[in-house]
Amino acid sequence: MSAAPRARPAFGRSLLRLFTVQGSWNYERMQGVGMGVAEEPLLRDLRVAGNGAAYRAAVARGAHFFNAHPYLCGLAVGAAARAEHEGVPPEQVERLRTALCGPLGSLGDRLVWAGWLPFTSGLGLIGVALGLGFPAILGFLVVFNAGHVALRWWALRAGWTHGVRVAVALRQPVLQRATAVLGPAMAFVVGAALPLVAQYLSGGFLGWSRVALAAVAAGGFALLWWLRARLTGVRLGLALLAVATLAGWLWP
Amino acid sequence: MSIALYRIDDRLIHGQVVVGWGKPLNVGFIVLVDDAVRGSTWEQELYRMGVPAGIEVVFASTAEALACLPDWERDARVGLLVAGDIDTLAALAGDGRRVPRINLGGLHHRPGRSPRLRYVYLSDAEAAQLKALAARGVEITAQDVPTARPVPLEDFT
Amino acid sequence: MSLGLLLALLAWGTLVGLDLVSVPQMMIARPLVAGPIAGAMLGDVWTGLTLGVLFELFQYEVLPVGAARYPEYGPATVAAVSAAHAAAGTLGLGLGALVGLISGMAGGVSLHVVRRLNARAVRRATAALEAGDARVLVRLHTAAILRDAARAAVVTALGLGLALLARTYLAGTISARGVMLLDVAAVGSALAVGTAGTLRLVGRGPDLRWFAAGVVGGAAVAWLR
Repeated sequence: MSAAPRARPAFGRSLLRLFTVQGSWNYERMQGVGMGVAEEPLLRDLRVAGNGAAYRAAVARGAHFFNAHPYLCGLAVGAAARAEHEGVPPEQVERLRTALCGPLGSLGDRLVWAGWLPFTSGLGLIGVALGLGFPAILGFLVVFNAGHVALRWWALRAGWTHGVRVAVALRQPVLQRATAVLGPAMAFVVGAALPLVAQYLSGGFLGWSRVALAAVAAGGFALLWWLRARLTGVRLGLALLAVATLAGWLWP
Repeated sequence: MSIALYRIDDRLIHGQVVVGWGKPLNVGFIVLVDDAVRGSTWEQELYRMGVPAGIEVVFASTAEALACLPDWERDARVGLLVAGDIDTLAALAGDGRRVPRINLGGLHHRPGRSPRLRYVYLSDAEAAQLKALAARGVEITAQDVPTARPVPLEDFT
Repeated sequence: MSLGLLLALLAWGTLVGLDLVSVPQMMIARPLVAGPIAGAMLGDVWTGLTLGVLFELFQYEVLPVGAARYPEYGPATVAAVSAAHAAAGTLGLGLGALVGLISGMAGGVSLHVVRRLNARAVRRATAALEAGDARVLVRLHTAAILRDAARAAVVTALGLGLALLARTYLAGTISARGVMLLDVAAVGSALAVGTAGTLRLVGRGPDLRWFAAGVVGGAAVAWLR
């Protein structure tokens, strides 16, 4: 049995809850509980329609295992809620959620973690290195979050609009172009940031310490590259600091 | 080149696969072996959306994968093969000569499974199945991303 | 450092820690933001900016995909700024980096612990969740967010405590040359980690050329300044 979707579903409440979607992240259901919490306001119509059992079953399904990029979770929330309203069989709703995990994770990771975030953070680093100070930090926060909030909002709307045909939403030319452009843009900006940041951080180093700095950076990079599965940045940093402390005591 | 990674991951193609492994390995094609996805065009469309335009995605059933494996191994590009369960890769591995190494990238909680690593949950039967595969000469390690330490099978079964 | 200031830093570190995974992921958890604001609270923006930039380089190594485990640099940067500011003129960057890296590791471990505690809570509530009890669902989620807030507060407190210990027992025991060596280790490792992390993100595909072009462009600007 299907209930007619409301003209204006509780998007605002669902969107607000999506900002907490990872709040109960765990190794069993991963984002599942947060997804259920975010989907619940969109399912209340089922209860209003007098179908309490359908509401409860949909809430239970909504909290099952899920993991994708947090900013794109809304797409699955909206699509699953729409499918529930349209009376799509439960096993198909489950299949939809399962099938969305990988693609939304992959797309979001490319778009945000490996694209928009390092791109805007790289711009922030360049700004600080060029002496802009706080405005560079503020600029990073404002620009990054303009994209962040827009993406969350679009995802929820698009999921609700397309329901089980949600792949249509992912074919958006803007989205495809953004992922294609952000890779090279991020590479260029972070590449440009590195020498500027090196100059910014090495301002206080003179004489032998400047040579030592270049040697430590080059040697550290080589170690990290060759021992990539064994040596992490934290371990390298702590090891070098321990050696420096020891050397400082032995060579007063 | 050949298939650089044979991976078991119940989320199939996701961020760890495309960004985590795909970038450093410079992957040219990804083979997704799953009988259900092979028969579902909308799911194929979804998985394709998550992969950059420069990477080809091949969808195959287990039977098709068995037939095509030699061709993929001869492909000039770097390949990555991913399946969602142990059964599929056990079928592909055969006597252990076709699949030299298996990367266990993610098998998550399900009733009957117990936690072995934070991203590996196995039932006793699945653990025994992996041990049997290892006995056939397949090197099995768990490793979610390339920067993590590979964990040998004996450390979590 | 006054108690009020210490509490303000603790509150900031908690918000920063909560932002990383739970709420609202607006990237105040990035060291580039967490550091300068901690610096401004202490009236030492330079230290905040410098350590923010330094730890932002370490952050480039972290790719938070799936269940991957990683250090947490937000509260760590707050603690690092507190340590470096308190030791201004003696130990500076090196001491901050030492405190920050240890706190970052502790943060990573604490995330793992909270995720396990969350899993246990979910397991206990399985029957209610499978029955579609929305009240239990929301309560479980809210409790987990509070758990993460407590975790972030504990990690920040630990970092601030470490900062206090470091400036009490380390400051003054290391020579001027030793201080410079510590600074070299801190900045050198940050540059190495930032470059290696970025290259992993860029990969060996066509984006590598854009990265190389960026490095050349950035180096040219640096040289001209």
